[in-house]
This record gives sequence, C-alpha cells and structure tokens, in this order.
Amino acid sequence: MRIKHFFRLKNNPGKYNVTLLTGTIITGCVLLLLLIGVIHTPYDTEAMDTANKFAGFSLRHLMGTDNFGRDVFSRVIRGGQTTLKIAVGTVFIGLLGGTVIGAVTGYFGGLVDEILMRINDTIFAFPSVLLALVIVSLFGSGTIHVIWALGIAFIPSFARMVRSEFLRYRDSDFISVARMQGAKSVRIMFLHIFPNTLPVLLSAVMIGFNNAVLAEAGLSYLGIGVQPPEPSLGRMLSEAQSYLATAPLMSAGPGLMIILMVLGFSLLGDGISE
Amino acid sequence: MGVILDVSDLHIEFHDHEKPETVVHDFDLMLEEGEIVGLVGESGSGKSMSAMAIAGLLSRHEISKEGKILYNGTNLLTCSREELRSYQGKDIAMIFQEPMTSLNPSKRIGWQVEESVRIHRSDIDAKTRKEMAVTQLSRAGLPDPEKVYMQYPHELSGGMRQRVMIAAAMILNPRILIADEPTTALDVMVQAQIIDLLREINREYHTSIIFISHDLSLVNQLCHRVLVMHHGRVVEAGRTREIFRNPQKEYTMKLIGSIPKVRLDDVPPDRQEMAGDILSVRGLTVSYQSGGGLFRKKQENLVLKGIDLTLHRGEILALVGESGCGKSTLAKAVTGMNSRYSGSIELSGDRPQMVFQDPYSALNPSHTIGWLLEEPLRIRGGMTDADRNARVLEMMDMVRLDRELIHRYPGQLSGGQRQRVCIAAALMLKPEILLADEPVSALDVTIQVEILALLKRLRAEMGLSILFISHDLRTVYQLCDTVAIMKGGVIIEKGPVNRIYREPEQAYTRQLLKAAGIAVPGAAV
Repeated sequence: MRIKHFFRLKNNPGKYNVTLLTGTIITGCVLLLLLIGVIHTPYDTEAMDTANKFAGFSLRHLMGTDNFGRDVFSRVIRGGQTTLKIAVGTVFIGLLGGTVIGAVTGYFGGLVDEILMRINDTIFAFPSVLLALVIVSLFGSGTIHVIWALGIAFIPSFARMVRSEFLRYRDSDFISVARMQGAKSVRIMFLHIFPNTLPVLLSAVMIGFNNAVLAEAGLSYLGIGVQPPEPSLGRMLSEAQSYLATAPLMSAGPGLMIILMVLGFSLLGDGISE
Repeated sequence: MGVILDVSDLHIEFHDHEKPETVVHDFDLMLEEGEIVGLVGESGSGKSMSAMAIAGLLSRHEISKEGKILYNGTNLLTCSREELRSYQGKDIAMIFQEPMTSLNPSKRIGWQVEESVRIHRSDIDAKTRKEMAVTQLSRAGLPDPEKVYMQYPHELSGGMRQRVMIAAAMILNPRILIADEPTTALDVMVQAQIIDLLREINREYHTSIIFISHDLSLVNQLCHRVLVMHHGRVVEAGRTREIFRNPQKEYTMKLIGSIPKVRLDDVPPDRQEMAGDILSVRGLTVSYQSGGGLFRKKQENLVLKGIDLTLHRGEILALVGESGCGKSTLAKAVTGMNSRYSGSIELSGDRPQMVFQDPYSALNPSHTIGWLLEEPLRIRGGMTDADRNARVLEMMDMVRLDRELIHRYPGQLSGGQRQRVCIAAALMLKPEILLADEPVSALDVTIQVEILALLKRLRAEMGLSILFISHDLRTVYQLCDTVAIMKGGVIIEKGPVNRIYREPEQAYTRQLLKAAGIAVPGAAV
C-alpha cells in the first residue's frame, strides 16, 4: 500500500508519478546490473583477444570489443562500478562537508562565517579538476584518492547552497518558535532547518553526481585518475576517443552507461521533488 | 452619471490542475461614474480575481475567462492586447495591497510615478512630466514632494509608499481606480488617512473606485455600494447602508456579525478576579546597534525606554501601538529571545510561549502537525512515546483540531487551523503565560472570531495569562481586561479596558480610538 502510494503524485493522488517511476526503474536496472557484475561478468575484464579487436555488437560480445579485444560489456559493468563508487563517494564527501560548513556558517554567522567562507572562496577560486589534480599528485592516484580529491573540490559549492538556505530560514518565525521551546542550536540546525533544505539539496546532489561522473572521466583522461588496468567509464571513453574514426562503436557502451546512470538519477531527483 | 464599466457574466476558470477550477461564477457589476463600490469577501472568495480581470491583469494561459467587461464600448476580454494596453494605467489604474513590494526598489520615486505618462503621453516633455508628478505627490498628501521625488522606496514608510502608489495611479486622472486591499498592510492611523485620501480623490475628480477589502467596517465607511462575494459568487449586492442595516443572506449576516463591536454603554464584560503577579517588568530598556560596518561606528537606537508592566494571574493584557513602537521588542525580551536588555523581567513559573502573527510562517513546512506538536515535549524529555502522543491528542482536542490532521503537513491546512496548531504548540509545555503577537490580524474575520473565542476559553479552562499584542482596538475590547498603549518605546497610558475606552487621558489614545471607529464619549475630536 505504502509503496503504491509513494509513486503517486502528491497534489494529484489519482495519477502516477511517471518521472519517479521511470527514474526508479532505470536506476534500479543499472544498480542490479552493477551488483550482478560484482559476482559475475560474461568475460574476464582483462582477458585480451587480439584476434578479435574492434568487434561490433554481437550476441557473443553485446557491446563489442575494444582495441585489445577485451569484452566492452564486461568492462562497462566493472567500470560502472568504479565510476559509481567514485561519484557516490565524491558527492557524499562534498555533501557532508558542505552541509556542515554551510549549516554552521549560515546559522551562526559572524566571525565563524567570515573565516570559513573565505577559505571556501579560496577553494572555490580553483577549478575543481585542477584542485583534484594537485591533491592526486600529492597523495598519488587511485580510486580512493580520486574520491577524496573530487570530494574536497566539491565541498564549496554544496557549502554555498546550504549556507544560503540556512540564512533564509535562520530568522523565520518557526525557528523562533523552536528556540522558544528550548531547542538547542544543533537540534534546530539539523531537525528544524535541514529538512527544509532537502529539495534544493536533492537537485544539487543530482547535478553533483553528474559532475562527478564527468570529472572522473576528465581525471582518468589526463592519466591521473583510475589507474589501468582497472576500468572506469571515463577512462574507457577516453581510450575509445583515439579510435573514434576507425571504431566508433567502441565508445557506445561506456557512453550508454553514463547516460543511463545520469538520466536515472536525474529523473529520480525530479520525481521526488514532484 | 452614466455607466462607465459594465461587467456581465464574468466567469474565470483555472486550468493548472487536472480538473478545471472555477474561481469566479457569473460576476456582474455596473459601475457608475463617480461611484465607490466595495468588493467584500474572505480570502479565496474571488474578489481579487474579478478585479484583476477588470484591470486586464489575468493573461496567463492557464486561466480562461468568459463573459463581458465593457468599457467605452469595447470588451476588455476580447479586444486586442494593444487596445487593452492603451486603457491600462491611463483610464483604468490599480493600487495593490503591499506597498513594500509594489514599488521597484532600484528606481527613484519620481521615475515610477511618471512611468504611465511616459508610456501613454509621449507628447509631454520631461519638465512638464516632473511638474505633474510633483503635483500628484503633493495631492496624495506627501510632505515635501520635491524631496520625495528624488528618493528611493526604502527611504519611505509604508503609509508614504501607499501614497506614492496612489499618486502614480492618479497621474493621468484615470476614470476607474481599482484598490486591492490598499490599507491591509498599514497601521490603523495610516489606514484612516488612506481611506480619507481615496474619498477625497473620488469627490474631487469623480473617479470611480472599486475597493476590495475583507474589512467590512472600512467598506462601510467608504463605499456607496457593496458586493459580497463567497466561493466565487456574488451572494448579495446593494447599497452599503441597506446591506449593513438589513442583510438578507446568511453569509452576509455572519460577516457583519464578526466585525468586533465596541458598545461602550454596554455592561462591561465580566472580568475575572486577579490573583497575584505572574510577570513583572521593571525599567526595561532595549537598544539596538545599527549601521555598523567594518569602518563605520555603530549607532545606538533606543527601542524601549524604561517599560514597567505587570501581568496578573489569569489576566489578558493588551499591548497596543503602531508598528515600530516597540511592542514586538518587548515580546522578544519577555520570551527570552533577546537577552540584551537592562532592567528586570521577573517571571513566576516557566518561560512564556509565543504565538506569532502569521500562521503561515510560524509552522515548519517540512514536518507533520503531530511532529510539530510533539517537539516541545521531546526537547524537554522525560516522557515515553505513548505519553507524548496522548498529550498531543489531548491538546488537539483542547484547541478543537480534528485528530485526523495529525499526519498532515502545515501546507495542507487552512489559516485558522494553522493558527490553532500554533496555539496548541505554544501550550504543549503548559506555560502559565502566553504571548500572542497579533494572532488574528492575518486571518479572515470569521476565523478571527473563532480564534478569539478559543483564547478566551483557554484562559477560563487553563487559567492562562495572556499578553496580547495588537493594533486593533476593537479586537482588544472584545478580549482583554487591561490595555497598555505604547508609543515610541514608552507606555503612555495603561488601565482597565473600560476606563481607557471611556476616559482616555492621552490625545494619542483618543486618536487611536477614533481611527478604530470608536466614539469616545465626551471627547472633543
């Protein structure tokens, strides 16, 4: 009953929330595929078959093979896992750091606000990819470091958003009411104000997620992201780019996966806010 | 005296939801030259929609309009956009409720007043235009119009801004002026002045006025004719005096019955025996620092200057004054929201709880009613879930809220229901003192009556003492035992309601009473 209710429109319970339904289905399928991929992939992702390079779509190789004759479908699944891990981790770090900084600066204001926001501005002044580049070159490359680098680079934009929302609600009547009831600052910040920032935050998360997928692709393209032989969607795309003229189908698999992931999450976000 | 505007069978429908929603049914209005017609009704009755349609401001695609609005032989609903524009601002002008937002904050007053001249009369040069604007500003009763001409909206008070709006609307001498709740956002004294100004404009220029309001006593003072609207229909129409003396429809009677009445010759309302002080404020002084920047010195503004106030157990004390007199500052100090004050505030018992003016902003939109009511208990702690839930239900019964509403969000409730939730939330911790900051002024009249009755009942049942902040002396008379009149951060007069209303000592109190339409016996005003 409850689940059925969840998929209906809030202001028009007679109708299904098509956006949310589609988003859930796409995201669900993608996640299921990636989950199955943890246990089993059709081919070994590293197994090369030099006799069968640049093969097109077929039943044997659903998404063809790449320049080493590796099965693209298997690599897309493994790469999707890596990319998802990076995107989720990045958004999580950015969200957590951003929410805490934004909440504290927006709610308390004053000197804390000045200091934290100036640091924030400084980080903001660097392009996030450049910042991630510095962090990766300091601490070394690899999935974990990419997550940290992108996550930290993402904090300022989340912090700004959360801060402006907190500023908006800080002096509202219902917060005065909560204060008069004796609620402490932390309680007001996270139980009373935070839920009101969710709609804005949710769309920020979706945009952030998409940006993270793209940033990962960018870093991997520069060779400082995920290190070979571990596949990631971004790196697969950048590899396929070199053969775009001769084997255009090689980029279709990872491209499709990115589209499905981003589309699914976007629809999910839009659907929830509906 | 000819008919200047003829509206017949106006039908307005909204299409932004699945089912089309009719907001105005069969609206008819024959407006004669030089006539003031009042459109009365509660929020959602369709009065503003009808007026907006006449002003040609309903042009969104989701809205369909049928019927006829005849002006000058043209149907304003079907004529071309060009033709409609040629009337707007020139023949038909409109002023709005909120003078704070209806002026562009980044343009000088003069520029905004002149705008319709610039649009409709390109033959008039800049110098004449300025003369016209200055004349209009001074006619609208603004002192020093030359200075106002060069000022920005934020430099003016609410009343002055509404005068500017009127000057801008009147600059081309329109034949019809539509005034949509033009005084609702203003203080009583300023309200009376704006009403006088509208009456003067009507008399001098023979401008027809459509006056939209939910305040029946203002309509009674100003309008020749009244249309009472309810759920999108005109339920009763006729000459003001007849409608007020002899209403035919039940709804009109209910509306008129809910105007707070002050009959000073009546037997004074039953006052309770006051036993002991529950709140005593001595020498309370509050100052704000303003204008401070990195390189500028801060300025000290004294908002409250040595307030003495005593609230007795079971008493309802009214604090009356215009905006900016320090009422809300006093409330903040008493509830502990502001602790930077000098003087003393002695409370017996718990911290007082507060009910705010606007029930739409006083409830957190992202939690359910049940959660919101439970929150004070959770904060205090020491109760089981079941106990808390029982208390919530008990309190909902107390303020007559349907138990079904417990899982709803504030957005799904009406204004009256929300204010009940606010009152219930304030009473969850069983405070002995309740502070109510204009708790009914944002509500419809019929709802106001219900909320006032609720406060009275709570006082009787729970022995609550209430500090009631208001600018409406008529409401105060209905509810309160004692009145304190505030002006400029000082209490200038206080005493039992009966004494203050019959024998006010201060000229200012007398002015306030007069503005509220209360005749003071033996006063030479």
